[in-house]
Amino acid sequence: MKASFLPRPAVIREIIQQNAYIRTFRLELIDKTRPFTFLPGQFVMLSVPHLGEAAISLSSSPTALPLFDLSIRRAGSLTEAVHTMATGDQVGIRGPFGRAFPVEHFAGRDLLVVAGGIGLAPLKGVIDYCLYHQELGDDPVSGMTLLYGSRTPRDIAFQETLSSWQARGVDCRLTVDRAGDEWQGAVGLVTELLDNCTVTENTTALICGPPIMIRFVIAKLVSRGCGDKNIITTLERHMKCGMGICGHCHLDGKLVCVDGPVFTLAQLKKMDVMELG
Amino acid sequence: MLDYPERVLPKDNLIPLLRKLAKDARLIAPVRKSCGDTLFTEIVDVDNAVFDLKNKPQTSLKPFLLPQQEILAKYRVQDGEYTFSPPDAARPTIYFGVRSCDLTAVLYMDLIFSKPSRDATYFDRRNNSLIITLGCNDPLDNCFCESTGSGPYLEFGFGLQCIDLGESYFVSAGRRKGVDVLEKWGYFFRPVTEDDEQRRYQLFLEARGRFTRNVQVDHACRILQENPVPESLLEKLSSRCYDCGGCAYVCPTCTCFSVDDMELSKTNGLRIRSWDACTSSGFTRMAGGHNPVDRRRQALSRRFLHKLKHDFALHSKPSCTGCGRCVDICFGGVDITTFIDLLTASESV
Repeated sequence: MKASFLPRPAVIREIIQQNAYIRTFRLELIDKTRPFTFLPGQFVMLSVPHLGEAAISLSSSPTALPLFDLSIRRAGSLTEAVHTMATGDQVGIRGPFGRAFPVEHFAGRDLLVVAGGIGLAPLKGVIDYCLYHQELGDDPVSGMTLLYGSRTPRDIAFQETLSSWQARGVDCRLTVDRAGDEWQGAVGLVTELLDNCTVTENTTALICGPPIMIRFVIAKLVSRGCGDKNIITTLERHMKCGMGICGHCHLDGKLVCVDGPVFTLAQLKKMDVMELG
Repeated sequence: MLDYPERVLPKDNLIPLLRKLAKDARLIAPVRKSCGDTLFTEIVDVDNAVFDLKNKPQTSLKPFLLPQQEILAKYRVQDGEYTFSPPDAARPTIYFGVRSCDLTAVLYMDLIFSKPSRDATYFDRRNNSLIITLGCNDPLDNCFCESTGSGPYLEFGFGLQCIDLGESYFVSAGRRKGVDVLEKWGYFFRPVTEDDEQRRYQLFLEARGRFTRNVQVDHACRILQENPVPESLLEKLSSRCYDCGGCAYVCPTCTCFSVDDMELSKTNGLRIRSWDACTSSGFTRMAGGHNPVDRRRQALSRRFLHKLKHDFALHSKPSCTGCGRCVDICFGGVDITTFIDLLTASESV
């Protein structure tokens, strides 16, 4: 692969406010003469004028190309600046980078998607991708369950998406860490939702969220008999190049940007990572 | 395989040869500075330059092939458009007086910048370079290249390798560009005699006997393949590390970098690559402040493990070249030789 530090300009076509601090930016590359495609789980390096780059997961399915989504939580100076941008503004894109979720192996499987907060972003593309193929009758998954944890009801992101998924047959179960009386749903950690889920040999679990959540979800799935190869997570690390050169995402002999960000538990067990405690 | 030629360059012919070479390329060589240090420096005036081929240059070729700061891209933000353009092309450059350890480090950088992705900016510089090494007849303080298999002389990888025979240099070509020099400027050289070869071999054996440091690099690599680093050793080293990054900056094989934008005006700026050090606590910190590697001893051991464990597993050899610069620079004494000495000592108990 030829490494390029030259981003391609992309224009913001639409901005979707997901909650007070997460926005989805729907983008389109300006120059279409060079191909651009990806698989769910991959990420891009996003450039914002004068602020540099940040690694951001693709949160849409490639089936929606030429449009693609980046769902961004306001966390630092670059993401703060992205949140001030408007439709029609331009950003820079390099990528896609990293290993995707093994969607080619999902046919016939029961997908159990477990997400916390912005962690739903990289998994959203998987659900959209599988739904698209399911509705075409093309290698359908056996079923999809989403367990989604947020801090409070106001923090729940992707609300319209959740309603649409529910209508299209995804079993969406939400929980919040704390809530007032107006909240009718579950209160508690996302791991508690797992207690009421069926986990079988046919389950493939996909996990993304804060490291502490990943750790406890993995522990619970293992205790429920889910195999190491069927527990798949995606890790977040600081990155500068995305191409396996800069060294920032080095993880016990692996590089998250090229060897990941998607890892099975079987792979993680061979490394010293904080997500396993 | 190409049959790489060997010649002898009488010392009187060195400056005339460099004069010719410097006509078509930038010439970089070790120069003694007024403060008493030796640095690789661009030679503007070959005739009046003060070459220092005796002392260890404080820096390697890293500042030239991977500059401390360099432009990766230029950008413009104008009329609603955000566009990027590549940096200026590299100038042809000849490096003279490069030590075996530093050439070995360049070969390692070639690996890092070619797999899994090929870094165009690095290879633009690299492809425009000719490296002329100088085998070490007198290993210097803290040098241990014999323990890392990267000196005192080299077998391959150089454009030209010079061995100081006293009155002349024994010159071997190792790459096409080196062969070109021997062919184009053939009249500066004379053929190799049996005596020259004997003298070269004698000097090689003597050089190997002059190392004052014996560092068990290979043993340490093998220990690390199977075992974690003892906690007590990490505690000991981290208590003496001041997080200055000096070891990573002088290390010819530490290539970790950061990328940041430099705003020149509202409408344009530069994307800059600069050296970074995995030993610094901010190296892995993410937006919002979360840091998956928050203990200093983890950060410290990562640098040693990268060179002695992970690279050994990948390439069957460590990415330490035995140049000894981290030993020279670390005022806390937390250099790679201390780590290796303590690790191998703890293992043999």
